[in-house]
Amino acid sequence: MNGAQDVSIGGIWMDTLSRRDFAKLSVVGGLATLPILNTDWLVSSAEAKDGKELVFLSSEAVTGNWDPTSHTNLGQLTVEGFIYGYLTRARMQQPDTDELVYELATSYKLLDPHTLEFKLREGVLFHDGKPFGAEDVKATYEYGSLPDRPAQWYPGRVDVEVVDPLTVRLKTAKYGYPASLYIYLSSFLPISSAKDVANKTTLSARPNGTGPFKFASQDGDKTVMVANDKFFKGVPKLSGVRVNYVGDATTRALSLLSGQADITERLENEQAQDIGKNPAFVLRKSVSVENKYLFFRCSKPPFNDPRVRLAACHAINRSSILEVMGESGVKSSAHISPVKFGYIDVPEYPEFDPAKCQALLAEAGFPRGAGLPELEYLTSDGRYPKTKEYGEVITAMLQAQGFPVKLTVMEPAAWGNLLYDRPGGGAGHMIDCGWATGSPEPDLVLRTHFHSSSKRITGIVDKELDASLDKERSAPSLDERKRVLQQETLPMIARKAPAHSLFTSVFIHAQRKDIEGLFIYPNGVMDASVANI
Amino acid sequence: MYILGILFRRLIQGVFVVLFTALIIFTLLRVVPGDPVRLIVGGMAPDSVVEQIAQKMGLRDPIPVQFGRYLWLLGHGDLGQSYVRPKTGAVASGAEFVDPTKSQMASVGQLILTRLPYTLQLATCAIAIALIVSFAIGVPAGLAPGRWPDKVAFFISSMFVSIPSFWLAIVLALIITVRLQWLPSIGYRDLTYTILPAIVLSVEIIPFLVRTLTVSISQLMKEEFVTAGEVRGLPKHRIVSRHVLRNASVPLLNLLGVQISTLLGGVLVIEYIFDYPGLGQLTVNAVLQRDFPLIQGIAILTSFIFVFVNIVVDIVATSIDPRMEY
Repeated sequence: MNGAQDVSIGGIWMDTLSRRDFAKLSVVGGLATLPILNTDWLVSSAEAKDGKELVFLSSEAVTGNWDPTSHTNLGQLTVEGFIYGYLTRARMQQPDTDELVYELATSYKLLDPHTLEFKLREGVLFHDGKPFGAEDVKATYEYGSLPDRPAQWYPGRVDVEVVDPLTVRLKTAKYGYPASLYIYLSSFLPISSAKDVANKTTLSARPNGTGPFKFASQDGDKTVMVANDKFFKGVPKLSGVRVNYVGDATTRALSLLSGQADITERLENEQAQDIGKNPAFVLRKSVSVENKYLFFRCSKPPFNDPRVRLAACHAINRSSILEVMGESGVKSSAHISPVKFGYIDVPEYPEFDPAKCQALLAEAGFPRGAGLPELEYLTSDGRYPKTKEYGEVITAMLQAQGFPVKLTVMEPAAWGNLLYDRPGGGAGHMIDCGWATGSPEPDLVLRTHFHSSSKRITGIVDKELDASLDKERSAPSLDERKRVLQQETLPMIARKAPAHSLFTSVFIHAQRKDIEGLFIYPNGVMDASVANI
Repeated sequence: MYILGILFRRLIQGVFVVLFTALIIFTLLRVVPGDPVRLIVGGMAPDSVVEQIAQKMGLRDPIPVQFGRYLWLLGHGDLGQSYVRPKTGAVASGAEFVDPTKSQMASVGQLILTRLPYTLQLATCAIAIALIVSFAIGVPAGLAPGRWPDKVAFFISSMFVSIPSFWLAIVLALIITVRLQWLPSIGYRDLTYTILPAIVLSVEIIPFLVRTLTVSISQLMKEEFVTAGEVRGLPKHRIVSRHVLRNASVPLLNLLGVQISTLLGGVLVIEYIFDYPGLGQLTVNAVLQRDFPLIQGIAILTSFIFVFVNIVVDIVATSIDPRMEY
């Protein structure tokens, strides 16, 4: 111990450290760490305790890039729904699923097959104070329709003529498709300020719209919005909306039940049923715009052969999948949701038929699956309800018909990495995914996935399919378009089966019973402009 | 000087432990399937862009080269930038890669520092609860081996060690928070939100603390110095509080050092279930999003905490019982 007198901490000699000294040291150490310890508990936040702020627990995080044309993220579309304005809104409620409600537009008129005119609302302000006008529609549509925009919601380039400050004409003649496509799309494309579109950094850095709620801050996984006191329909009754990303469905359910949140989404069937029994809460179920698909990688063997794809469809008993889904899915027999424009139960939609499956396999040169390579079926766990469970059912059904299928279940990020088509066919041979777009416009699904100009996941290149999709897109009237869709395009997609539409999702939201006036669109986007708690 | 010697040796060992952990994590993250660049650039970007960005970020260099570069930055206190979280705090995924805000990605160090206080608060509460309960159960059990306090301690320990923490978390949240509404627990607004998660965490370590206390005290009570104390007329409570507990605290301290790892592992599940905004939740999300720099940063911090706590434990144990050698 000699020489230890040289060393002391706060007057405590290290060679004679006693328990009391240790206690003193602990106190000193504790005080030293106080500045970095969380002291929020000293002042409890008043957030959401006045009952005026709506707290929504989202199952999907936002992207961090607020440019609406930069993503296809459903969680962010929901946030945009609170902040942005749209020319029209489509409530897509049966039986009038095609009905449009004017928002930033006051009327529209198809002047000729390639010119669509919108009259715009006067007196609307963006959240940064800029008045809304024709130049904003022009900037938004011309920018969003550029081919390099990742979201690719637009059917092609569009030129917008500013007739006067409150009149625009969408012109598509130069790009060879009818302007009528923008009738339904107008309910889905958020309108940005021309000033923001001119400055991409600003556009990406924060959302600025004309909607009922203004973006206030992004605090980790929490998006905070406050009421827009200059909203053209009147000041919202809610003081604000907070969207919290909570990945775990059990945590979302517990949070709602304990009063920490007001509304949540994408609960497991069992959780929803339990909450439904509680008189303080209500469940809101709606047939959504989302179909769940088993996408085939159509650009590589064996699914480059439509007979093998169709054989796989005939091997799958969709009733068994719906049993797994419970109330979270309903049967549909087309590659678009029943709330989309042009939906019909396609008569030749491939149903469970082992005999047809075997006949097609034999015809393709794989009798009872002999000679097929090992087929990898990719799915996610946690992104959508029950994907792992029904993935196992589908795997068993395919194996029963001789398809050597291996199911790979991944966490959502890894699955998202592998989702899209790549040169050579993309990862695996089949991948599970849903597609939800908040508009009756069917091409947001059909053209996106099955036209060779996009072929987002399937990688399909099929001239007949392209021709049929071009034909329905270019139909001179909505009636004619519906006819082509129902009699030609949807049946052709069913026959060529680039994907198997398994079912239509039912979006289940669970909420406090005392929320009034909240409307939820079939893609999960909400209208809280007149909501109150 | 003896303590300084221990400190020096332990620090050298600690540096090697941290470096070895960093190397293992760094290598494992790069050999698992999946390309983080795909996540950065977005699912819709072409492969050529993926390669371009990967080359630019040095992610196609040999692993030793990448690790060397990482250590160089680490030596300068730079844990790197998150792949998916911009400074705004949102999670960037599923978007395009040409994004001006992505040049403003959050620094890993900043992300960790934002969340660490919440986890320290949770861990401190959990250890405090664990110690209070363990002493309340373990000391009587050690003083009465084979009798009912010992049996009660054994029963409670067995029960606690058998309960899966995720199950207990959900059940407690359902009963205490949802049904009885005694304590809030989902999310975080104030200190009360820490209590239930801390209880769940403490349940994980209480059995080990109780067992150690019970065994140590019962053995020490047979020692000669206890008999001598009784002969000298010292009251039993004084013998226990002044002498037995002091000696029993050494194995308890050592165990606490080891249990820190249990605690750090436990916060992953507990914070995720309770939506508690600490390091555990950040870790789970980082793993789910393949945010490699963040995972590496958290792993290094975790190993550093583990090493640091064990050095402190060694020093304190030596101070309490100078006969101990390391």
